[in-house]
Amino acid sequence: MILEVKDLTIPTLDQECVIINKVSFGVKERSIHAIIGPNGSGKSTLAYTIMGLPNYKPSAGKIYFDGIDITNLSITERAKLGITLAWQEPARIDGLSIPKYISLGIKDKENTKDLIREALEIVNLEPERYMKRTIDESLSGGERKRVELAAAIAMRPRLIILDEPDSGLDFIVIEDFLNIFGKIKGLNMTILLITHREDIGMVADYGTLIWRGDSLLTDEFPKVMLKYCAKAGLKEFCKRKLFNGKEACFDEDYIDRIFREEQDL
Amino acid sequence: MSKPEYPEEILGSLEEYNIDIRDFLPGHGKGAKLLLDFNKISGLEQVEGVILKGREIENGIVADIIIKEGTKIEDPVHLCFGVNKEKGIQEIFPRIIAEDNTEVTVQAHCSFPKANGLIHKMFGHFYIGKNCNFTYSETHYHGENSGALVAPVGYIYVGENSIFENNFNLTRGTPGMVKIMIDIYAMKNSVIKSNIRAFGKCKKDSIRIRDSVFLEGENARSIIKMKAAAKDGGEVLMYGITEGNAPRCNGHVECSEIVLGKGSICRARPFIRAIDPTSSVSHEASLGRFPQKWLDELQAKGLTEEEATQILIEAMLQEE
Repeated sequence: MILEVKDLTIPTLDQECVIINKVSFGVKERSIHAIIGPNGSGKSTLAYTIMGLPNYKPSAGKIYFDGIDITNLSITERAKLGITLAWQEPARIDGLSIPKYISLGIKDKENTKDLIREALEIVNLEPERYMKRTIDESLSGGERKRVELAAAIAMRPRLIILDEPDSGLDFIVIEDFLNIFGKIKGLNMTILLITHREDIGMVADYGTLIWRGDSLLTDEFPKVMLKYCAKAGLKEFCKRKLFNGKEACFDEDYIDRIFREEQDL
Repeated sequence: MSKPEYPEEILGSLEEYNIDIRDFLPGHGKGAKLLLDFNKISGLEQVEGVILKGREIENGIVADIIIKEGTKIEDPVHLCFGVNKEKGIQEIFPRIIAEDNTEVTVQAHCSFPKANGLIHKMFGHFYIGKNCNFTYSETHYHGENSGALVAPVGYIYVGENSIFENNFNLTRGTPGMVKIMIDIYAMKNSVIKSNIRAFGKCKKDSIRIRDSVFLEGENARSIIKMKAAAKDGGEVLMYGITEGNAPRCNGHVECSEIVLGKGSICRARPFIRAIDPTSSVSHEASLGRFPQKWLDELQAKGLTEEEATQILIEAMLQEE
């Protein structure tokens, strides 16, 4: 496992409530692992805590990266170990050029220019069109997300956390993003994908279901998705997407059994 | 004067701004040039359509720069006011006239790399005629000892249908004591853009800038953007003033300042006034530190908080 989260509990900043409660799961190296769950279940909180953001401190539990306990490391130290995060809504900063932004995490300074161009090409942005622009309001939401991904890719991290990469994008663009995730995986990076959408999650090898702050299941992604649908009572949706759809994984009896078990609970 | 002798310390002093003054020396490039080495004119080159005249006075020069009617020049007019001494007084009295239908950029470089008790004063008058497109960019470097006292004053008249852009940049080195006053009078249908960037870096740095635009003509428009940072005890005070005194004129003032380290002070005072009921003037000001999210995003790329802050300051103070 490249990442192991053990019994992690994350309170709110004022310590009054628990957002994530004793969550445990592991992420295999060079896999795409989706963290799935409804809005407000604590997925992004989990992502920020793994990245080490100063306002997200666990009250209990441990985070291991490549066997090293990183629970008390700073965001910078974690990034230097090979973890990075692409934000759901990355900031727009006047005056910060796209090449400068992408170059910030590049360690191989001798090949900075080549790595910037390559990263832009991977996210399907023409380098000639973007090398002189800045990460300001003139970029569309989709362009800004691609630049964010390019900056993460150029770092060559071992683990990229993608926080809701699909938010605010239309379905044509989403298809493109799924292809980009495949390219990232091809560069031997591991992706921890935070999403609440099954069509995004379907590119994942594995998944963890977060439900009201608890981790209910970590398994192959279709099984996790089925559990998610069962929890949410979305049987018809589940059959359409998982049984009759192109991603068919389970027979109808199996789906019925999972839903019955959930109702019995 | 084809090959003036000019102090090497000044020639290389703006490298951090990615400006090489050598590119602007007489004999290089096509633009008109006026070089001042302390109080002596060390280089002067005219081009067609531009009259450049200078006269040495006790502590500096009086200069006339006239862009003749209809002249449109691509290469900027270069003014270099350098002092390669620790102490002394340099006074500049320029009169810049852009006659009607002209297009020109004037780049002024003020470099005092050894300043330690140096005084630089400028008292400038600008007259921009009708239908002009005039850009004035001034880049300053005052050395690393906070040893300069710099006090430029500018009165600028911008005629009908003209565009005037003012860029002032003092973000490298240590500023010392800086007091700047700019008054711009905008006539009918004119457009004013004024961008000010300054960075106070230590206790001895005190920057006060007053940038005023008076919208005197119908449909005149303006935007003042003032951006500053103060760290380690530095002080920055910025007044952005806009008055809407004519029908349907429109002005905006924007002040952004970042404070870093104990004892640093940033103050922004946007002052707006509209005396015509059809005019519109607005302002926005922000003071403080960078949003935590911005720092987090850069730190997630492996930067320390200090490195991330430095990148953000550089971005904020970037010339537009």
